[in-house]
Amino acid sequence: MTAVADAPLRVVIAEDAALFREGLVRLLSERGHRVCAAVADGQALLDAVAAHRPDVAVVDVRMPPTRTDEGLRAALELRRDHPGTGVLVLSQYVETRYAARLLEGNAAGVGYLLKDRVADVAEFADALARVAAGGTALDPEVVGQLLGASRNTDDLAALTPREREVLALMGEGRSNAGIAATLVVTTGVVEKHVASIFGKLRLPPAEGDNRRVLAVLRYLRS
Amino acid sequence: MARTGQVTPTTATPPRGRQPAALRAPFTRRARLELLFCLAAIPLGFCLLLVPYWVAGPALAVALLAPAYDSTWVAAAAAIPAILLLVVLATRIARRLGVVHRRLAARLLGERVPPPPPLRPGRGVAGRLAAGLGDGPGWRAVAYQLLKLPLAVVEAYAAFLWVAGLANLSYPFWWGLFRNHPPGVTLDPVPAALPFPGRLFPVATFAGTFAAFAAGAAMVLAAPWVTGAVVSADRRLLRRLLGPGRLAQRVRDLEQTRALAVDDAAARLRQVERDLHDGAQIRLATMAMQLGMAREKLDDEGDPEVRQARELVDEAHRAAKDALAELRDLVRGIHPPVLDNGLADALATLAAGGGIPVQLTCDLPRRPTPAIETIAYFCAAELLANAAKHSHATRVTVQVAERDGELVLAVGDDGAGGADPAAGSGLAGLAQRVRTVDGRLEVASPPGGPTTVTAVLPLRA
Repeated sequence: MTAVADAPLRVVIAEDAALFREGLVRLLSERGHRVCAAVADGQALLDAVAAHRPDVAVVDVRMPPTRTDEGLRAALELRRDHPGTGVLVLSQYVETRYAARLLEGNAAGVGYLLKDRVADVAEFADALARVAAGGTALDPEVVGQLLGASRNTDDLAALTPREREVLALMGEGRSNAGIAATLVVTTGVVEKHVASIFGKLRLPPAEGDNRRVLAVLRYLRS
Repeated sequence: MARTGQVTPTTATPPRGRQPAALRAPFTRRARLELLFCLAAIPLGFCLLLVPYWVAGPALAVALLAPAYDSTWVAAAAAIPAILLLVVLATRIARRLGVVHRRLAARLLGERVPPPPPLRPGRGVAGRLAAGLGDGPGWRAVAYQLLKLPLAVVEAYAAFLWVAGLANLSYPFWWGLFRNHPPGVTLDPVPAALPFPGRLFPVATFAGTFAAFAAGAAMVLAAPWVTGAVVSADRRLLRRLLGPGRLAQRVRDLEQTRALAVDDAAARLRQVERDLHDGAQIRLATMAMQLGMAREKLDDEGDPEVRQARELVDEAHRAAKDALAELRDLVRGIHPPVLDNGLADALATLAAGGGIPVQLTCDLPRRPTPAIETIAYFCAAELLANAAKHSHATRVTVQVAERDGELVLAVGDDGAGGADPAAGSGLAGLAQRVRTVDGRLEVASPPGGPTTVTAVLPLRA
């Protein structure tokens, strides 16, 4: 896991609070990543990404001038114009609609985390690497909200509490190994749960983390 | 200087020029505008005199067309519908005239009197009659018209003082041009006006023109005072009788200040949220991040002091994250920032966060003001919490729509029902909150369910 986290990435940061921006730059630099640009608003972010073509962009939602969803709109634009660049959105709050908009159509190379999660440095670095590699990193709160917002509650009701936990972790973008580590069980147990979930949700078994997340999200949003 | 402040502003400020105010008064802009107002008042004031003809006209017509009967009785009988018609029309006509008076006063005197509340017309003959009879502001406008009649007489006199005074002043200047007749020729004396209307005095000689001049000077000097006094009385009547009335004005003022207070409160809470977001929350998040980085650097293998330090950092790290989460919950309770993006986005997160599946539809073609959005949001939050807590519902619907220019928020569940606003639940508090903007809360919750609580709010406070 550390090997993934420490593969050097080229990162662009967009965050209007200088304190937090500097902190992020320092955190990422210390872990061996290269911060190509650290900017403070949406337009600057778009310009920086166009100029540097980074592996991943870390984007704050509220930035000048509107200070509402400026960053989110920039992130959506990035996803449309630079599909090769992963977008990790950070915010003090996670909003269901924002998550739905970010994940619209495609969950590859996208992340949406609370700013709190940055405090767990290793996990944050892990999530960043996942997004840069085309994977997904969703905040547990986002997953909870998406599960809550889902209308297929009858199917969800068929899941055992443990299977819901596994589903939520899948939604966050974790691999079977990651889920096993979080739940303190063996990978084999997780694989069994995953197969059971796919069965109950009538999803065809698929290979690879990303397709798994895609499948889960598609199910959640249906 | 026995002038009141209302007649002229010069008493308030010491005169700037050399001449005393009495000499300057006739030449001020104010005097000119007040004269214009008096001139305009003459036709407006006297149009009331036409009213008896409206009543007498139809009656006379009937009397003339029915010579076979005793004309007095017929005229009396015909006068009754005419009077009824007058009752219906009087307030309406007076209101129309009131508009003209208010405009004139605003234009010429700078006296801005707000219009009274509009007439609510009734249906049918009886309804119209009742609306006319019960139209308080309309009758006050009628009273103004009646009082304007004597006032217009004085205003006409004031105008006369000006016009006749100016005419008198001119005598010595043209006398020589027209009266340079050879000696021995006797011409008729020219009449000059006195300050008493209808009274003239003859001017026969050039010396006599100075008497006319003196009378004119006195009249022109007196004119602004008379004008000012009568206009000031008119102003007072205007305010009292053509304005919205004290109670209506008070209601309007209170409505305005309440709306300001509600909007201000919402704006303040929003500012608090922004300050927290840009201040404490960012600092805490940065601190948590730095503690996380510090924690990584402290390898607890070996040195017990390092291990202790790591434990402390661990604790601080956890505490910072907890504080961050608490602060976030607190701010959500004050003003969820996503509300800036509209009710739909905010309600989506709210609906997803609860334990019960929520079906949300939000269709607002126009955005309400932030204060209304905030109230609607917290209503929905409270109702959803109620549904989760008390109703044992399995399904909740939240519908937001605009109907007849109002925002309608309906929260329904298929739970146990029996919600009673009187039973000390949160519903009473909610109803109060909604009432602060003239909204209302309707609760339909029969025992056994289903429950629907509807909050109706204006689009602006």
